[in-house]
Amino acid sequence: MKLEILELKDRKAKFVLSEVTPAFANSLRRAMISDVPKMAIDYVDIYDNTSVLFDEMLSLRLGLIPLKTNADMYRFPAECECKGAGCALCQVSLTLSAEGPCVVHSRDLKSSDPETVPVDQNIPIVELKTGQKVVLTAVARLGNGKEHAKFQPVCASGYKNVPVISIGEKCDMCKMCIDACPRGVFKADKGKLVVTDLYKCSLCKHCIEACDTGAITLDTDNEAFIFTVETDGSYTAHDIIDSAMKSLKGRADQLSEIMSAF
Amino acid sequence: MVYKCAHCKQTVEIDKDLQGIRCPFCGHRILVKERPTNIKRVPAQ
Repeated sequence: MKLEILELKDRKAKFVLSEVTPAFANSLRRAMISDVPKMAIDYVDIYDNTSVLFDEMLSLRLGLIPLKTNADMYRFPAECECKGAGCALCQVSLTLSAEGPCVVHSRDLKSSDPETVPVDQNIPIVELKTGQKVVLTAVARLGNGKEHAKFQPVCASGYKNVPVISIGEKCDMCKMCIDACPRGVFKADKGKLVVTDLYKCSLCKHCIEACDTGAITLDTDNEAFIFTVETDGSYTAHDIIDSAMKSLKGRADQLSEIMSAF
Repeated sequence: MVYKCAHCKQTVEIDKDLQGIRCPFCGHRILVKERPTNIKRVPAQ
């Protein structure tokens, strides 16, 4: 297995994973979406709401606000000593109290844990007019993407095969493919057609259509994948990839343990 | 059940059998239900 990092930022990562099967690449993608635990608001206790939004709409909006997550600090409610009743080890409460005229933002949510706070401070929740009021307590817990999309730590997690572009001897340097390629993959260099950045190719086949001599052939490498991961900010992209791999390893270990009994 | 008159904002207790839906103070026929004081738990999904 080989890994080549193309881009690694806090919220975005792009890398090439090669010498793996498509099944493994898909397992990693799925693990990033649904196996990495994330904190999200589970239910809301509403004391007063005279805003224009119904209680249900307000709580739906609150549920989708990404929260910074430190999964080591909390347990899943089902695995907690309190058996899901709710305690400081499995729950965080966020209170919101606002009176109009104002726009209520995610920064107005006051968390009981200073580490579990909304990732983005400027997410608008509701606009209050004069005299309108919202008083509530939201309770957040750990969950994973299988349960609900609000527990998914990634906004985008996908991959595509690495393209294989070959330029045959039939090429007459008409440069039609250079103009046809929307990603600027080709360029003429010292009288020859060369590929500048292979990973930019989106496999659109415009170059093949433009080539009259049929010199260009396009294929995919079935054992190399270009991954793109974008997070919602609850974790860094690095941590998500790491957690997903640990989750896959944990499952493999579990299977191995079961098999060793036979 | 306690309601509030949409016109005179008075608290009104209605009796469907005798007077029907009508404010005894101003006669207005639109009454709004007040939000109860108990805490409402709503799932965020």
